[in-house]
Amino acid sequence: MSNPRRRRGTALTAALLGAALVLTACGGDTEPTTDTAAAAKTRTVTAGNGAVEIPAAPQRVVALGNTTQPFIDIGGKPVGVTELSASELDPIPAEQKATYEAATKLGADTAEVDLEKLAGLKPDLILVQVPDDEFEGIKKQLEAVAPTLFWGLDTEWKAFADALAQAGNLTDALSQQKTQFQDKIAKIKQTYPAIIADTKFVAVDRWDNSDPGTFVISDFGCIEIAQGDIGLNAPKAAAGADPLGWTNLPFEQIAGLSKYDAILYPVDAAGQPKKAFAPVVESNTWKTLSTVTSGHALGVFCPGNNSYGPVLQYLDSLDRALAALPAKK
Amino acid sequence: MTILAQRHDGPDATTAPGPRRRLLGLVTALLVLSALLVLSVMIGSTEISPSVVWDALFHPSADIDQFAIRDYRLPRTLVGLAVGVALGLSGALIQAITRNPLADPGVLGVHAGASFAVTVAVGVLGITDIQGYMWFAFAGALVVTLMVLALGSTRQGQSPVVMVLAGVCVGAVLGGAREAIQLTDPEAFDAMRSWNAGSIVGRPLDLLWPILPLLAVALVLALVVSGPLNAMALGDDLATAQGVHPARTRILAVVALTLLAGGATAIAGPVAFVGLMVPHVARWLVGPHQRWIFVYSILLAPSLLLASDIIGRIVMRPGEIPVGIVTAFIGAPVLIVLVRRNKASGL
Repeated sequence: MSNPRRRRGTALTAALLGAALVLTACGGDTEPTTDTAAAAKTRTVTAGNGAVEIPAAPQRVVALGNTTQPFIDIGGKPVGVTELSASELDPIPAEQKATYEAATKLGADTAEVDLEKLAGLKPDLILVQVPDDEFEGIKKQLEAVAPTLFWGLDTEWKAFADALAQAGNLTDALSQQKTQFQDKIAKIKQTYPAIIADTKFVAVDRWDNSDPGTFVISDFGCIEIAQGDIGLNAPKAAAGADPLGWTNLPFEQIAGLSKYDAILYPVDAAGQPKKAFAPVVESNTWKTLSTVTSGHALGVFCPGNNSYGPVLQYLDSLDRALAALPAKK
Repeated sequence: MTILAQRHDGPDATTAPGPRRRLLGLVTALLVLSALLVLSVMIGSTEISPSVVWDALFHPSADIDQFAIRDYRLPRTLVGLAVGVALGLSGALIQAITRNPLADPGVLGVHAGASFAVTVAVGVLGITDIQGYMWFAFAGALVVTLMVLALGSTRQGQSPVVMVLAGVCVGAVLGGAREAIQLTDPEAFDAMRSWNAGSIVGRPLDLLWPILPLLAVALVLALVVSGPLNAMALGDDLATAQGVHPARTRILAVVALTLLAGGATAIAGPVAFVGLMVPHVARWLVGPHQRWIFVYSILLAPSLLLASDIIGRIVMRPGEIPVGIVTAFIGAPVLIVLVRRNKASGL
């Protein structure tokens, strides 16, 4: 299946580069600046693509790839974005949803971004988080349009939020979220010290692309926050080994989950098992698990783990799940 | 992989084993298959004692390990049995009608048609569960084989060589189209990754029941054409002189093999080499008589499939290797041996 957007974007790359050069030249002619004035208006930040000079207070930000939701989450109001999926969009607050809707959609993902439309937005800053090789493919085109900050997918989520806030001049909003996060973590630790210390948890999941009849023991995503910040005792891969969540386990291994005291499984915002995970919950093996029949299988909602807003929603859900656990012991 | 070589040396009764040896072999193959059926239910990615397996089958209760047997291993074993039978017999049929010792259902575009239809179902229509796209696979296999059948028609009737060429061409075109869709929609590729590899994991019996009557019809058709195909191994002219209608026989055989390979592919995805290897081994064991080759293929192919599936369950615990990958690993060296033993395996 051909992709008209990608084709158009590729075809226009040359024209775009030319136009950008012309615009740059015009700007040089019409806006003579002194070194002092430029220093006042710009600052240098460091991202995955090195030190980049960006406007001190960017006004027209384009957020591409994984930066879209986190940037909006810290109060950013991008003029252009790549599209969020329904599962990403559903759980975000109405105000953030409105911000997203107001932004110009530039494509389903960064690989399909409409460069002509992007240039037409006249951004003063482009934020992008995609796989490294994907960025290499569009780096020149983006940098020709505006200062571009890139982060790879391996960027730790808290550092990523800091970097986005610094780039977008939104550090005040982020500080509030960080305080909420630290307070929430402290509250959970204080409320459930015995559970955290004595309970053997296991987080399970099933991906949209998991093989039929298989599930995974999850050790990345939200469970990393539960393990790292709260201290929840749940299985994770040994250092240097592939994540446990990469191995599809056949359904007959659901029975093996009985060796854990409590199971954390993924639910949607309404508390129902996540669609991809539903086959696990519907299996006889799951229904027969002693952990499940005794009420020690806890549905936890994880809308995302790449910024503080969704993480706070996860912590609220985890808090409610843990509150239900002792009563059922 | 395909060798378009026609050999006109027909069945040679002098080199074929006698009836006693064939029957003995048949009983042995039956015992091997029975043993593998038992092992397939006994062995899995978790250890479950034989007594629990026995109770799961004959004294059912709500014991969690019993569910593992009844809900996963038993359906998987039955699906493996059906898929193996279908692949083995379809391979024997296509080798017989094309008189090509290295032909398998993929040569007629069955796999390509099924894969393309599944890609369209997943990538364009957004169907991501196997219950939804298995019928696309079946329809894709059916349509493409009928197309190949039409393209393979000449004024003199069905030409095996033209059919194979048409199958390879149509397969190549559809393969390219499938790749194009998958490259522009990686999520589609991800969703059908397991199916593409060839797997019988997570296939409930609900998938098998609707396909089973079609496989039964194909089985009967295959046995009906086994005699005429035997005569056609001597060449169409001699077969016609013996009262055989080559074109009708080929059409019936192609219908049968399409139902078989299409049904198997719809459930398990394109499992490589089973349809290629097993008829060779059968021919090596029983000689060139099609009816015996068909019967042996029916027993040996599910044995190979189940053995490969069992290997896939235990070599990478706690994960598994899809059966299609294991058969490919086994198939490559076997193919080399078969090519080098041309005299024994040739048609």
